[in-house]
Amino acid sequence: MTAPPLQAKDYKSELKPIWCPGCGDFGVLQGLYRALASIGRPPHEVAFISGIGCSSRIPGYTTAYGFNTVHGRSLPIAQGVKLSNPELLVVVAGGDGDGFSIGGGHVPHAVRRNMDLTYLVMDNQVYGLTKGQLSPTSPKGLETVTSPLGSLEDPINPLLYMLAYGCGFVAQATPADMPGMAALIEDAIRYPGFSFVNIQSPCVTFGEEDQQLKAHKTKLKPLESLGHDPTDQLAAMDLARAYGTELYTGVFYKNPKPPPTYEALVKLRQAEQAKKARPRDRVLDAYLQK
Amino acid sequence: MRACSGHLPETKLLVRRLICVPVHPLHRASVRMLDDLILGMAGAGGDGVVSAGESLLNAASSEGYHALMTKSFGSQIRGGESSCRVRLSTKKVLNPGGALDVMVALNWEDFFKFGAELPLSVNTVLIYEEKAGPPPDTLKARGVIPKEMVSVPINELTKKSAGSDKAKTSVVLGLLSGWFGIPSAGIERGLQKKFGSKGEGLLEANQKALATGIEYAKGHPLAAPHELARPEASAGSKLLCDGNDMCAAGALFAGVKFFGGYPITPSTEVMQTLSKEIWKYGGAVLQCEDEIAGIGSAVGASFAGRKSMTATSGPGMDLKTEILGLATIAELPLVILNVQRGGPSTGLPTKAEQSDLLQAAFSGHGDVLRPVLAPTDVEDTFRITVEAFNVAEEFQTPVIILSDQEIAQRKEAVDQIDTSRFSLVERKVPTEAELAEKPYARFALTESGISPISHPGLKGGTYLAAGIEHNEKGDPTSGGVMHAKMNDKRFRKLEPLKKRADLFEQHGNPQAPLGLIAWGSTAGVAREAFLLAKKQGHDVKLLVPYLLNPVAEAVYQGFFESLKHGLLVELSHQGQLYRLLRMYTDVPKGLRSLCRSGANPFQPTELVTRLIELRGLPS
Repeated sequence: MTAPPLQAKDYKSELKPIWCPGCGDFGVLQGLYRALASIGRPPHEVAFISGIGCSSRIPGYTTAYGFNTVHGRSLPIAQGVKLSNPELLVVVAGGDGDGFSIGGGHVPHAVRRNMDLTYLVMDNQVYGLTKGQLSPTSPKGLETVTSPLGSLEDPINPLLYMLAYGCGFVAQATPADMPGMAALIEDAIRYPGFSFVNIQSPCVTFGEEDQQLKAHKTKLKPLESLGHDPTDQLAAMDLARAYGTELYTGVFYKNPKPPPTYEALVKLRQAEQAKKARPRDRVLDAYLQK
Repeated sequence: MRACSGHLPETKLLVRRLICVPVHPLHRASVRMLDDLILGMAGAGGDGVVSAGESLLNAASSEGYHALMTKSFGSQIRGGESSCRVRLSTKKVLNPGGALDVMVALNWEDFFKFGAELPLSVNTVLIYEEKAGPPPDTLKARGVIPKEMVSVPINELTKKSAGSDKAKTSVVLGLLSGWFGIPSAGIERGLQKKFGSKGEGLLEANQKALATGIEYAKGHPLAAPHELARPEASAGSKLLCDGNDMCAAGALFAGVKFFGGYPITPSTEVMQTLSKEIWKYGGAVLQCEDEIAGIGSAVGASFAGRKSMTATSGPGMDLKTEILGLATIAELPLVILNVQRGGPSTGLPTKAEQSDLLQAAFSGHGDVLRPVLAPTDVEDTFRITVEAFNVAEEFQTPVIILSDQEIAQRKEAVDQIDTSRFSLVERKVPTEAELAEKPYARFALTESGISPISHPGLKGGTYLAAGIEHNEKGDPTSGGVMHAKMNDKRFRKLEPLKKRADLFEQHGNPQAPLGLIAWGSTAGVAREAFLLAKKQGHDVKLLVPYLLNPVAEAVYQGFFESLKHGLLVELSHQGQLYRLLRMYTDVPKGLRSLCRSGANPFQPTELVTRLIELRGLPS
């Protein structure tokens, strides 16, 4: 008897999300359920790692193994998980502050190590959990409780960063286009290497009017419709420059020849070195005076 | 040879040389037999004194001696002055020792840069390069006149015998062998090993230099001859390594599968060794982008069900603190090595201090009880590392190994360790059958406080691990009642640790009125002080804790019972264990804190003096 195919609801936990009604993250969660069901790995083979923030609560709303860690450190923790058990499907999630402010130092290293992880950033250009402060992707001039006279700094550009770091899969999505977002998340998970999806996930409480799902629906421009070739890294970078002004969705870049992952290289090394192993109770012989 | 001696006037030496008595110096009267010899060497960066020290250590240990070596460098990354101390003994070496029996100075300037590390006494034989000229006034200013000062044309002897000045240290080794009876066979073997593959010329040059040194020593006997006693015949092959080697080996033996870390002095060698070895055992090392990622990846590995560790030193410990708290609340086993150096901040990166105990026990916010174990020497670093993994796995908690620079980086020849006496503990993982039976509660409030821990991949065991407080199932909660229950669980589960009397070492008459307590590298000094005091007829006892936190109240109270006077000796300005004990136990008034800042280790005789002085004070 074969088990019936997994459905989106099989990934849904009993916990009720703490998010505000209308939060974009509800949509992201739905899209993720669909992507996971389509891939079909049972929940216990999925490890879902997050940091701190509204969006970082997301692992608890799935039936996967979840680890809601500390602020900004989801990527290194996820790498430890993946290296320890490469068979797992490992998804990492968090907000723009978690990933690009407090955790920003980990991102280039996660990318260059190229483990088969999928990193979903729910980018809402604001700190929601702490009630509406500036985030690293807030537009210049934005008035918030910590910038009552307007922000003086330029936002960072997550897409351009990721492309410049050499990420093999860079995409952008919005829950305003649910089928498109679910397909992108699935595509990212299936990519054999580090993949990144920047999800424009609006904050209904502290976000700007023109950042809401309703606005997204009219603003979004699928890259496919522009005739963009996702294997063209330079063209991807050129398009990514429009972050903050244009809402492009779809795959900016997908490496057509993915290099071997870190964990694959580790596996090779382990196999090659295993031959040289002393019995574990003889490890001290390495220091034996000859 | 020009010699100044407190015993024989110069003219007598000259006369003896003139009449050329072909007598082996050891056949003359008053040969001082030593079962313990402390040597120091100092020179410029390229002189190779550290390498000579290593050769001596190798040679002596291959002959069955116990031996210990510490080295010290200037702050330059390459070049600059360097020095080493080697202690050879027929018995187990307990610490690097105090004043030197022999000092070899290749030039004065570099020697004087290591004042505190290379102390002379009235018993020291000071050997120096003739070209450096007579000892400058700086030596006199120190107020200690060595017993004998011998100038040797080391450079000249090297050039004559080896044809270049590259084999200088082989001449020195020859001199030491000839004058102090260190068996030359071991040194010879060392040269073979070191230079055998580097071409005939180099090996031959060093062999000639060695022979020249030996010959020179024999032809120029010391006024006060010494001879190192032969080691016991039963002494077998020894292990030659430092504390960081032992930690890495202990981790591999315990079954470590993941190491995440970031280079930092003086702990980096642990990562270096594991980077070479861990793959052989199916594990992985990740050199991370920073200290936080180091401990983060290790926590991730533990969440995935593997034994994992990280290693660091003071500043790195500061950075790891937040994730230590995460491991505590998520109840994830994890071993963290902190090789202590002087602090705060960058402090003294290459010197030992015992000033991170309070940090180890208390860093981080919230109510936390964190196990802290401290090795006391190279050999027991192996055992303590294995224990740390066992405690981490059994109690599902981060455990800190508090080593220090001296233990971690001093090289020692120690007896082989019988690993069959160690048992290994694995975390309690639920079986799939158990998981199928009833819904899994990761943080079930059990009587022991320990609840079975699943890991990704295990069917039926899915749960949410989190830094946020949780209920038994693992779901987030902010309720005070559950928070109190979970805090109680996390403290309750560690209660059995406090009863681990085997994590303490006690010596002497249990009813003795005098007592010494010491931990970490200072314990080695206290052990020798204890033996010295006993030899002098004092009724004294010694307590060495390996478990520093949680405080095993009963063990200390037992030790305090008969105590009229005692010293708790530690290398920190505050005396941190003394402070910690006062939090948890009734410390008797007669127990005093003897503490001072790092980079200035205690000497055994000093401890005895201070202990005896106490007897005049009220208890």
